[in-house]
Amino acid sequence: MWQYIIKRILGLIPLLLVISFVIFMFIHLIPGDPARLMAGKDATLEEVEEVRQSLGLHEPFVKQYISYMGNLLQGDLGYSIKSGAPVVDLILDRVMPTLGLTFLSIIWALVIGILIGVLSAVFRDKWPDRLGMLTAVSGISLPNFWLGLVLIQLFSVQLGLFPTGGDDAGWKSYILPSFALGAGIMAMIARFTRSSLVNTLKQEFIRTGRAKGLSGTSIVFGHALKNSLIPVVTVAGLQFGFLLGGSVVVETVFSFPGLGRLLIDSIQFRDYPVIQAEILFFSLQFILVNLLVDILYSYLNPKIRYD
Amino acid sequence: MKKSLFLLFLLVSLLFIVVACSDQESAGETGKGSSDEEVNAEENANESADKEITIAIDQNFVTLDPHNAGDTVSIYGIRSMYEGLVGFDEEMNVVPVLAEDYQVSDDALEYTFQLKEGVTFHDGEPFNAEAVKANFKRIIDDDSLRAHRNVQYIDTVEVLGDYEIKFTLNQPFSAMLNKFAMIPLASPKALDDESKDLGLNPVGTGPFKFEEWNQGDSLVVSKYEGYYENDKTNVEQVTFKPVPENGARAAMLQTGEADFVYPVPQQNAGDFEDVEGVEVTETPSTIARYVSINTFNEPFNDVKVRQAMNYAVDKNAYLQVVKNGFGNPLDSTMSSQTQYYSQQDTYDFDLEKAKELMAEAGYKDGFEAEIWGNTSSETVTGMEFIKQQLSQIGIDVKIQSMEEGTLSDEIYTPATPEEAKVQMWYVSWSPSSGDADGATRSLFSSEYLPPEGANTAYYDNSEVTDWINEANETSDAAEQEEIYKNIQSTVYEEAPWIFLASDVILSGSKTNLEGVYVLPDGSVSIANAKLK
Repeated sequence: MWQYIIKRILGLIPLLLVISFVIFMFIHLIPGDPARLMAGKDATLEEVEEVRQSLGLHEPFVKQYISYMGNLLQGDLGYSIKSGAPVVDLILDRVMPTLGLTFLSIIWALVIGILIGVLSAVFRDKWPDRLGMLTAVSGISLPNFWLGLVLIQLFSVQLGLFPTGGDDAGWKSYILPSFALGAGIMAMIARFTRSSLVNTLKQEFIRTGRAKGLSGTSIVFGHALKNSLIPVVTVAGLQFGFLLGGSVVVETVFSFPGLGRLLIDSIQFRDYPVIQAEILFFSLQFILVNLLVDILYSYLNPKIRYD
Repeated sequence: MKKSLFLLFLLVSLLFIVVACSDQESAGETGKGSSDEEVNAEENANESADKEITIAIDQNFVTLDPHNAGDTVSIYGIRSMYEGLVGFDEEMNVVPVLAEDYQVSDDALEYTFQLKEGVTFHDGEPFNAEAVKANFKRIIDDDSLRAHRNVQYIDTVEVLGDYEIKFTLNQPFSAMLNKFAMIPLASPKALDDESKDLGLNPVGTGPFKFEEWNQGDSLVVSKYEGYYENDKTNVEQVTFKPVPENGARAAMLQTGEADFVYPVPQQNAGDFEDVEGVEVTETPSTIARYVSINTFNEPFNDVKVRQAMNYAVDKNAYLQVVKNGFGNPLDSTMSSQTQYYSQQDTYDFDLEKAKELMAEAGYKDGFEAEIWGNTSSETVTGMEFIKQQLSQIGIDVKIQSMEEGTLSDEIYTPATPEEAKVQMWYVSWSPSSGDADGATRSLFSSEYLPPEGANTAYYDNSEVTDWINEANETSDAAEQEEIYKNIQSTVYEEAPWIFLASDVILSGSKTNLEGVYVLPDGSVSIANAKLK
């Protein structure tokens, strides 16, 4: 097992190298001249050129990449074109709020999603099932920015329970954004739990359990649920990566000072070093989460072994 | 099975710990002051809580370096703590601030300032001519600073006395006073202190001093007790909070989380009509909205065609359809809030006249054309409106909506007018320091065609170019005004643009807050903030 994990982690290195090159290439291929954006619309050509020189953007592409990677390996992600601050600082400042938000989203998406899924499976084709699946379909269909705005209107403006945004009201600031962010995954988890549990409940070992005289609750929670969790773990894991993408939108709606908003700000300004570092960071996170999911499998289902 | 349950438990608890930690950290970040200050702050909290205000704005601050800011938000963030020799009043007229008085020589080359006495910086350093010189030395020596452009014509800086300083220019520049207003002065001690980044540790002379800046989030400033006009404000603390989402920002005024909100989106302005204790203010801006027409190529090189296009567009309908009824028709080449603005007879909507002009120009049946613009929904609506209006005189307009970066490349990279593919560009312009030169030179001088400048209409009238240079060479304001009047009437007549509208700025405020306002250039002033 350990051998497998180490092998996977080593495998990350070439993968990240490839990713970094692709990101670097794409960002420099998209149109838009950061030197001009930085110099301002009333700048003369001379001023634009001065800015370009000072940013090192006049160097050939390959040379820029090599010096970028050289610095990266020393832990130096460069400086923001926009504010001049070290990129590492910018990202470190924003990591914790975003991680907090995504974790909170996935936690309640798991708790509520599994609960809805179990109820729907147990009361299959009765009203709790219909209600649960209606919630699930809504959760998937509603765009999160829209949900965010409705939540602000309802819970902040009308009821005054939570702040409209920011992160300075402690845990209260996390409630609405995490809800808006997690709704889609909650819905997906509910559907996967339901279908998986419905299948499991049909299997023979459940019938044996019933024959033994076990109560309904202990059959569902003690035996069936655990055996239905594998697809749920997969979905939750994969979706975690997408949550980071969703955070871009939700953080903007809730003016939440996280990585997503930083990315939007940076893209608008063609702030290459920050965009590169953020996408690299997102990719790394995605890969690590996938690795974690693979490892979790083997615990949930001992039949799966990695050699 | 037990193993898996245990692992799940472990994972969930780990998540909770991470969430808890992040909460603690963000709480820790907001209290950066020393522990003594915190105790004091807590003691005072009850007293001063009602003297604190929050201002919700639309963008993040980029930098707080007083000499290196280029975006409006950073500029007004800086102005909340800093002052210059001169500054802008509510109508953007240049008025003395740290200067008691000033004189400009007849040849427009010498600017002499007498300084206010008894002014101290937030770090206790005295304000005097040497301090002013130190600031200008930094800007002149370091050409990577954005403010360097404002001092490009300054040749020498001479200290005449403790409180008198003289600047000599190497060529006359009509907008020089406006440029002085764009240069905030920092404490010389802070300029020298290399251990602290000036962009993160502002030290000025303004009525508010720096408290903290959470990058990408709020900027907090507090009242400076040593300010020379201590009754200017009675607000103890001001928090600027960037909230990019329009709906969320407007909502903050309703929930009471913000005392002042800017900008209020046009479509939300109606929401506040019935809300008690809240008022929405309209400020005319320096923003001019127009479609620039590439006058280099056929058929747009014919002035009749361009005039016909102006007559064919109903500006009042434009304001209703695109701007929710807010704004004024653009009745010159610059907004009414710009220096030396002179009102022109507008091209009132007149289809008959437009068709006549088209026929005279030989385009009775119209032609095909392309309009470019960025991807914002307002721009797209605007371009659709133009398309519909111009179709009335047979011009078949194709809309090309491009991402900002692509658009900028397409427009500014062609090396010669022959290579330029742009025909019409839906865009806006606002002079950075409200001066006539900034609203004219790079737009209409033939020396400023792309890629050199922003004359994207490729407007080439040697008389206008000469006038622009002439206006610079005199220090006589009346003469300058006369020249800019000629420039405006000539350009307006020759119609290198479809003149659309000048924007109004909408801001929302609690009615118990006075003295916070938005200037025509879109910057928020808090220097006179008073709570009732």
